[in-house]
Amino acid sequence: MSQIVLDTLVVAASVLLAASAIIALYRIVRGPSILDRMIATDVVLASIMCGLGGFMALSGRTDLLPVLIVLAMLGFVGSVSVSRYVSKSDSMTPGAEVGSLSEFSNSDWHMPKDSPSATASGTADETEEWPDDVARGISDVSDGPDAITVQGDEEIHPVTVGLDQGTDPGADLSDDEDAGAEFEPDDEGPTAEDPNGADPDVDGEGEGTGPDAGPDDSDDGAHTSPEPDDEGSRR
Amino acid sequence: MILDIISAVLILLGGVLSLAAAVGLLRFGDLLSRMHASAKPQVLGLLMVCVAIAIQYPAWSTVTTLAIIISFQLVTIPVATHMVGRAGYRTKHLRRSMLYRDELAEAVDRAEAREVAWERRKGIGTDPNDG
Repeated sequence: MSQIVLDTLVVAASVLLAASAIIALYRIVRGPSILDRMIATDVVLASIMCGLGGFMALSGRTDLLPVLIVLAMLGFVGSVSVSRYVSKSDSMTPGAEVGSLSEFSNSDWHMPKDSPSATASGTADETEEWPDDVARGISDVSDGPDAITVQGDEEIHPVTVGLDQGTDPGADLSDDEDAGAEFEPDDEGPTAEDPNGADPDVDGEGEGTGPDAGPDDSDDGAHTSPEPDDEGSRR
Repeated sequence: MILDIISAVLILLGGVLSLAAAVGLLRFGDLLSRMHASAKPQVLGLLMVCVAIAIQYPAWSTVTTLAIIISFQLVTIPVATHMVGRAGYRTKHLRRSMLYRDELAEAVDRAEAREVAWERRKGIGTDPNDG
């Protein structure tokens, strides 16, 4: 009786492992990207390791234990090396995944706006999604340096004013700094850099304050030492 | 005989976890979701199978080798999964619409803003000193 139960359990386990290996092989064949294929390869390898372990447990071939170690190391080295050398040019196979890739809009791919495929097939919904994805990556970066250079050294001011007047959010900041640029460095140049740097960020741009707070603080800490030297040399 | 059935049940659980990972690979539509699904049999399924081997053959050499295998998997699988996720994020293999919140984008923007500011400051700040 117990032998029948044991046989049933073993057969069921082997069927499950074989089914999982076959399904993972399907994902290897149809996987959109190389990373999906790598993950599916790891699952195949895990199935092989489980099957080999079960075989060892049932048949007593414990001399095969180093094979388990080798398989574990193989999976680690394979996934690390493949993910190390994957590049952006490794595009997904087009139309590989029928169900989910048909809903796969261009905004998911994070392609640039100027690419012809995005503009050609772009519908109204995708054009709504575009600025969110692109704005998070690009507009914050372009807003950031404006606020940072306004806060910066006294010697940069005449140059950065000309740069900032071209953009909208930087114009107000540069005007404020122009008015205060005459007396501020003498009074509180080396000591109170933080309120000067923090206030234009809050006033000028709303959502850029988060990413800008880090560079402002770090640049203050990094460049407080050369500022007094330049100031003393100039005046 | 009881121990045989227990180890067979453990092997069956390993097979169930492996099948769950395979079904997750088949059904999920995202790289990160598939990574989430595929991590189950690599650690837990192998742990169950190794416990089954240790139940069947409780010798010191076998158990220590199994401990080495399990600890190796526990160390290397998070590293490998992190590498795959990092490569997927950097090469834009994610589906952005499936992310509720992208916390790494803020850090990347901050780093890029800092780099751009540093380069601009370095490029402009040298000119007034020269002139």
